[in-house]
Amino acid sequence: MGRAGSEERSGWLFILPFTVSMALFFVYAIVRTAYYSFTDFDLFKAPSFVGLSNYTALVSDELFLTALRNTIGFSLIVTTVQTALALALAVLVNHAVRARGLVRTVFYLPSIMSSAAMTLIFLWLFQRDGFMTAIVGVVLAYHRHILLFFVGIAAVQGALVLKARRRYDGVSIFDPFFLLVAAASALTLVVACALAGLLPVFDNDLRVSWLNTQQRFFFMPVTLWSVALMNIFTTVPTLMLLFLAGLQSIPNALYDAAEIDGANAFQRFRHITVPALRPVTFAVVTMSIIGTLQMFDQVAILGDAAPLASRVTLAYYVYENAFPAGASSRIGMASAAALVLGILTIAVVYVQKSVGVKERAE
Amino acid sequence: MLLRPARTLAAATMLLGLPALANETVRISGWGGSEVAIVNGLLTDVLAEKLAKEGITVKYEPVDGEFSQFIINGLSAGTAPDLFYVDIFWARSVFSAGQALPVTQDVSGFAANLVEAFTYEGKLYAIPKDFNTLAVHFNKDIFDDAGVAYPSDGDTWKTLQEKLVAVHEALPEVDGLCLVPEYARFGAFALSTGWTPFDSRGRTMLDQRFRRAFEFYTGLVKSGAAVLAADAGQSWAGGCLASERAAIAIEGAWIISALRDSAPNMNLGTVRMPKDLESGKRGNIVFTVGWTVNAASKVSKAAAKVAELLTSKEAQQWVLEQGLALPSRTGLADNSWLRGGRPEQMTSRVILEGLSDDHVMPYFFGKVGGSWMQPINAALNSVILGETDADTALASAQSALDRMLAN
Repeated sequence: MGRAGSEERSGWLFILPFTVSMALFFVYAIVRTAYYSFTDFDLFKAPSFVGLSNYTALVSDELFLTALRNTIGFSLIVTTVQTALALALAVLVNHAVRARGLVRTVFYLPSIMSSAAMTLIFLWLFQRDGFMTAIVGVVLAYHRHILLFFVGIAAVQGALVLKARRRYDGVSIFDPFFLLVAAASALTLVVACALAGLLPVFDNDLRVSWLNTQQRFFFMPVTLWSVALMNIFTTVPTLMLLFLAGLQSIPNALYDAAEIDGANAFQRFRHITVPALRPVTFAVVTMSIIGTLQMFDQVAILGDAAPLASRVTLAYYVYENAFPAGASSRIGMASAAALVLGILTIAVVYVQKSVGVKERAE
Repeated sequence: MLLRPARTLAAATMLLGLPALANETVRISGWGGSEVAIVNGLLTDVLAEKLAKEGITVKYEPVDGEFSQFIINGLSAGTAPDLFYVDIFWARSVFSAGQALPVTQDVSGFAANLVEAFTYEGKLYAIPKDFNTLAVHFNKDIFDDAGVAYPSDGDTWKTLQEKLVAVHEALPEVDGLCLVPEYARFGAFALSTGWTPFDSRGRTMLDQRFRRAFEFYTGLVKSGAAVLAADAGQSWAGGCLASERAAIAIEGAWIISALRDSAPNMNLGTVRMPKDLESGKRGNIVFTVGWTVNAASKVSKAAAKVAELLTSKEAQQWVLEQGLALPSRTGLADNSWLRGGRPEQMTSRVILEGLSDDHVMPYFFGKVGGSWMQPINAALNSVILGETDADTALASAQSALDRMLAN
């Protein structure tokens, strides 16, 4: 009894620091936020109770609705793309035979940069006539060359594979030797055509507004697409590391057995790797959803480089109300929006858990 | 119990009939950067003796970054300094929250429109410490190379634009002006037409006068007179002037300290803002900062005294003669320093004249604050980028302003 009592006491002592910080910074903060969300409060005058009017004001505030749409769109895109990319990169890095350490380090580099430094670098890359525009400009200028190159590869590769298959069985469509020959022939073809003047270079004085624009692309402002690109670039490496850890815990015997059963690389990936990684995928997706729904720093650093409506997210909307430029704080509105964001986050994670990627491997 | 030296000092002051040293410490706060040198210079070089006589020790706590957030947070938490800067842009949010003490000293020596800018519900809550207006700063060498006449005080929008186009035609690698799609610069043009940000009923009407200025400003890029600052790889017009990418910049006197670092040998000239041809008038925006005493300060009297000393004629003259800021006291307008021929002296003179332009408004937008500028900035931006036309952009700005001001 005495021993059990002392164990219980130590147990409580162990969780005490966490309980205190949780009570202080989570429970107390959330209760206070909930209270303020029903009041009109500017940080100075005593809060006055206004019922649900902050919430009704939110629903009729166009900026809030824009922020909500932006946040959901951003979260959807970034979570999907970065999970897929991180998995692909992890598989690639896991298979790298040579310089595995170097490859991993290079891929992980973007994650060790601070988000502020990264945003400033991207601000520069995203200038209207900057690096990103130059890439698009080159692709546009040489689109005929690029097209011809790929058509050439496909044609030569197809011809070589078909010819080989008449004699031998089991020649892969992506046979690496044929691919090399095909690429070389296609390149020769492109160079020859270019020299003969058959491929005009499309002359463009391209200016792309990546950030400073009110244009939309599908369901999201162009600005947020650019931020999404930046966000994916910086987050993928961390997620890749998680997948990599997961990949290394899958027993090799499974792959060997599947190979003996005649499963090809894709089938092994689809039926062994993906299901075995499910707990990791669940963690990655959940972290991505939470991180992207609450994305703030990258749009805050953008500042005046982009119009507010093109970059506002829910977290930024909260900040914008708590500290509006040149006006009194609207803590009631900020609290209401913060609660909406919190509830939205929990709801999306729950929905993801019940209909999306499950927590346990099948 | 008093320590021995202190006891001796107290006895000595009593014997000599001097006022007893109160020895109060006043915490004051303003921005970091170059302001640290200004305030510390004032405290040690100019005011040290007077402060010692008053028995006041001043501690300057500079803040880099978002100053208004620092103050709002500090005031709500009860940790704010006793005396601090308020920018006209957000001063109202401090005054209306009852966080500032009204000014009691005589302010008759200060420029009336600056005093008015810091007056809220009939009471003055801050002593203006300095101010800035907009002017046209130009690189004389570029105009000489292009063989184009310098900008002048007599320029209208049109003649200035023609000069800029001529510069760009003569020197294709140089643009006339780097444009920022912001009310903070465009506003001076809009105001010169006689348009006012708020009408008598508190509404913002983007009328024909506003539209005339809007079309001129957004048309500068298309006419070849200007380039968007962001397209020149700069975040502000001064950066373009410093890198000789642009021939002129429309900025305040703050450009002097920026050029001192980045283009110290530039042959700089400064003239007043161009006139609107139709109204024949000039417009300008006043940027000003004042000292405010924290209403919750335990040493509010000492803090008010420090504010008085920091804005005294002696202090402002020192600041002016260092070329650091323009005085808010009208008495210093005919100071001999301002008649000098050095670029910073000429610039200061022109900026000072800007205060008496025909239509001058402070950089302040009532209860709604900086949000008021967003629809206008968005309209400027989208038209300059060619994403939409003036009709659509102004209609959507008008409806955004109507919604904002209806609340």
